[in-house]
Amino acid sequence: MTKSLSLRLLVGLGVVVFAAACQEDRGAAESEELTQRALETTPGPVKAIAPRSGDLGNRVAGAIVVDFKDGTSIDEVNELEEGWGVDLEWNSVEGEEDGIALAVGVEDLEGALAEIRGNPDVESAEQLVEYGVPEGDEARWEATPARGPAAEDSGEGFRPNDPDYDKQWNLRQIHMPQAWEKTHGKGAVVAVLDTGIAYEDSGDEFKQVPDLKGARFAKGYDFVNDDDHANDDHGHGTHVAGTIAQVTNNKEGVAGVAFEATLMPVKVLNHFGSGTSADIADAIRWAADNGANVINMSLGGGGYSQVMANAVAYARKKGVVVVCAAGNAGRGQVEYPAAYPGAVAVAAIGPDGIKAPYSSWGKELDIAAPGGNKSQGEQNGILQNTIDPRDPKRSIYAYYQGTSMATPHVAGVAALLIASGGKTPDQVEKALFQGAEQAGGSAWTDQYGHGRLNAEKALAALKNPKEVAVVEERVTEVAVEEGTEAADVAGAEAPTNWSPLLWAAGLLAVVLVTLRGRARPGYLNVALKPGFLIAVLLSTVGLFFLPWIGGSHGSEVLETIRLPIPDWLEKIIFGRGKLANPLVYSALLPGLLGLFGIKGKAFRPIVGGMAIGFAGILAYSAFAGAPALSWLPFTFLAIPWLVINAGICLLIARAMLKKEAA
Amino acid sequence: MKLSGKVAFRDIETGIWVLEGDDGKTYQLDGGDRNIKKDGGRIEADGEVVRGAMTIGMVGPVFRVKSYRFV
Repeated sequence: MTKSLSLRLLVGLGVVVFAAACQEDRGAAESEELTQRALETTPGPVKAIAPRSGDLGNRVAGAIVVDFKDGTSIDEVNELEEGWGVDLEWNSVEGEEDGIALAVGVEDLEGALAEIRGNPDVESAEQLVEYGVPEGDEARWEATPARGPAAEDSGEGFRPNDPDYDKQWNLRQIHMPQAWEKTHGKGAVVAVLDTGIAYEDSGDEFKQVPDLKGARFAKGYDFVNDDDHANDDHGHGTHVAGTIAQVTNNKEGVAGVAFEATLMPVKVLNHFGSGTSADIADAIRWAADNGANVINMSLGGGGYSQVMANAVAYARKKGVVVVCAAGNAGRGQVEYPAAYPGAVAVAAIGPDGIKAPYSSWGKELDIAAPGGNKSQGEQNGILQNTIDPRDPKRSIYAYYQGTSMATPHVAGVAALLIASGGKTPDQVEKALFQGAEQAGGSAWTDQYGHGRLNAEKALAALKNPKEVAVVEERVTEVAVEEGTEAADVAGAEAPTNWSPLLWAAGLLAVVLVTLRGRARPGYLNVALKPGFLIAVLLSTVGLFFLPWIGGSHGSEVLETIRLPIPDWLEKIIFGRGKLANPLVYSALLPGLLGLFGIKGKAFRPIVGGMAIGFAGILAYSAFAGAPALSWLPFTFLAIPWLVINAGICLLIARAMLKKEAA
Repeated sequence: MKLSGKVAFRDIETGIWVLEGDDGKTYQLDGGDRNIKKDGGRIEADGEVVRGAMTIGMVGPVFRVKSYRFV
């Protein structure tokens, strides 16, 4: 390469680096806005994992939580901690497995964290967050609940003989009688990460509530007290578990959604309802490792936590459907953990099917389910059997309302789908979303997500993918026709974003500018070869725009090539391209192909196109500010990583085109 | 930090107590003694906001009260 050529190339690269640098220099508010824009337009990933600015608050002084690579031994930890000057211990018995360790009394917190994060054995490290939870002793409940609203009983389907079933308008609202004709959820395991479940008779302290007598329970774990007995000493968890699998048709109390499913009691919140990020992250991994098919988290409101985000991604990777509450602040921001990639975010609706005033909503919302609206009367809450908050041994039937109550409806229907043959989280979620009753005919809205939960239609969507495919196509048309914001976000499921391709075109122009004037026409000829163009297209946006490569025709191959090449690996391994893998989001693939392909004349335009395409999607990801790179321990490395690799891709592209044009 | 506002009971989830702050934000109350639970009572409180906190109430940041008085 001649000196002047190198210079020009450097200038070209500089433009890209400068653009990215400008990006980083902008204020927090703007970066938030960019993240939001990325959320609306990035193909593939539905949610960015970039932390929201402003919600990282006060944490436990001098306490840190470190997530070591799985399989790190305590001896290795002991060796490492000496150099760091902290005293780390496994957070729970799970430590040996999941590598989550705690240290307290750390003096130079920032310094220690910086040093720890630099170690290759560490996945992430952060200050411990203590979770505060509302006190429950002022709960309003009735031992004998008032008559519920006469939510229309069409008389169709299975009618359980539970005496208070009439008051469960919520179950009829999601078409449970019809769904119960098909399945009761037998075989599916639902982990309830909450205050525990009143499932054991244990001495003077705990008593099983009567309407869970005969329910199926898997071995649970109490992460608060570190023992095997996750009994409820608060009341919230038992109510939530009741919605999922209250014993039904037993002439006692009320019914539950998936009443033959197995409940896994996992206590992560203490008797005041407080818990820590370390416990919840541990519990997510524990449940995933111990056979849970669904995890229900009716909790939220914390700031972004890398440890938690990793735990959710881990569970999802292991095939677990993670269902979380959107939040009760009644604002346009979905709380964590519901907002993490890989989690199903649930909003609450009242008996009228309208979003409850307290329910939060927003970009990450996936679906709406009955959570009650007691402003129209106590009987418009969700009725289940639980314990008296004042006396854990005493059984009550309580009407509660909240997105916590909406979440287990979705978890229960997810269990029904798994019991009916749903295998992957992808399949289950697709059936949930496609079976949902759309709000106002929109494929997606920020108030209801994909719509209102419908168990009957979700089961039909799972069993009859063809019919569902038709529905989906119609949905896409509606969304596009309306041209609303909803259409943009619906694009998360069916990407409709051409930006990476435009970036690739722009970068191709940069490459052309860096070439000698005389040589340019030759390069341009190469750039118009079909192999080059197809490679650019596949690398940047995939084939989502071809109508016959629909999302639910069942073929993994077709589903994969809808996505751009960098998302393929993630799709093949994890089932959906939500998180980006830094190894694939790099110059590695074009580089390797370049090494082999530079000799073969036929390959050079293809590799060149691929390199330009990769440069385009990497640069766009960096620009969007939400690269969502998994497995990168330092999120601040993500943008430099993308920019540098985009630059290397450009060099490769240039080499390919040069050789070809020569 | 010091906050002033109105204490209120919200019938959400198992029931929670919040501080409707004069700064326009809603805080979920934590700490303080039992007497703070007076629906409609105006307080001045000293404490800290545990803004990273996660709760089953999910209505806003947790305000851990160190001391308070009714005004």
